[in-house]
Amino acid sequence: MSCLHLINRSPVQGALPVCSTLVRGGDGVLFIEDGIYHCLQAELISNLPPDVELYCLREDLLARGVGSRVTETVESINYSRFVELCCEFDKVVSWF
Amino acid sequence: MPQKKILTFLSRSAPYGSDHAQLCLDMALASAVFEQQVNYVFLDDGIYQLLKDQNAESIGAKTLGNALETLELYGIETVLVDAVSLAQRGFSTADLLLPAQPVSRAELSAVLRDSDAVFNL
Repeated sequence: MSCLHLINRSPVQGALPVCSTLVRGGDGVLFIEDGIYHCLQAELISNLPPDVELYCLREDLLARGVGSRVTETVESINYSRFVELCCEFDKVVSWF
Repeated sequence: MPQKKILTFLSRSAPYGSDHAQLCLDMALASAVFEQQVNYVFLDDGIYQLLKDQNAESIGAKTLGNALETLELYGIETVLVDAVSLAQRGFSTADLLLPAQPVSRAELSAVLRDSDAVFNL
């Protein structure tokens, strides 16, 4: 049963340290809101397993002025794709 | 006429995930209107407020970066940014929309010591 994990807080406030110990191959991690700041520095997400898909929400990048700074291992997506992902994975786990 | 107080605001939150950044700015501007001496410091996640090219239209919010430019209009001249927070997040002063002065933790500590009150948001 695959999970889409949602991270919405910044690297210093967020739950990625605990989330990354529970993520399994085939899962996805989607960074939204202040969570997108993780995607600016590759070392912040280097603990995640390699067979996990990484996404971030483009609207939140643009709002924060960092659209061009996302590390290449993360795919930037729009809201429609966000909805699709919620359906493609078996469940959504929100780390708010 | 009561004596001016030295008020230091530590803005430590990213711009759109909560209203802390906006509230901290509002408090500082109100203090400046009442002719207090204000130090405004961007620390921790607060430095994300200073990044250029913000446009919060995409998330239906007001762009905070524009509002920060009012600091100068309200006569707040001491705008500081913590150099450690900036470096930790991979940014330099060239990435910032304001000419905020980078300071070390030792300098920041001196600013706090010399303040009559410190607000931390």
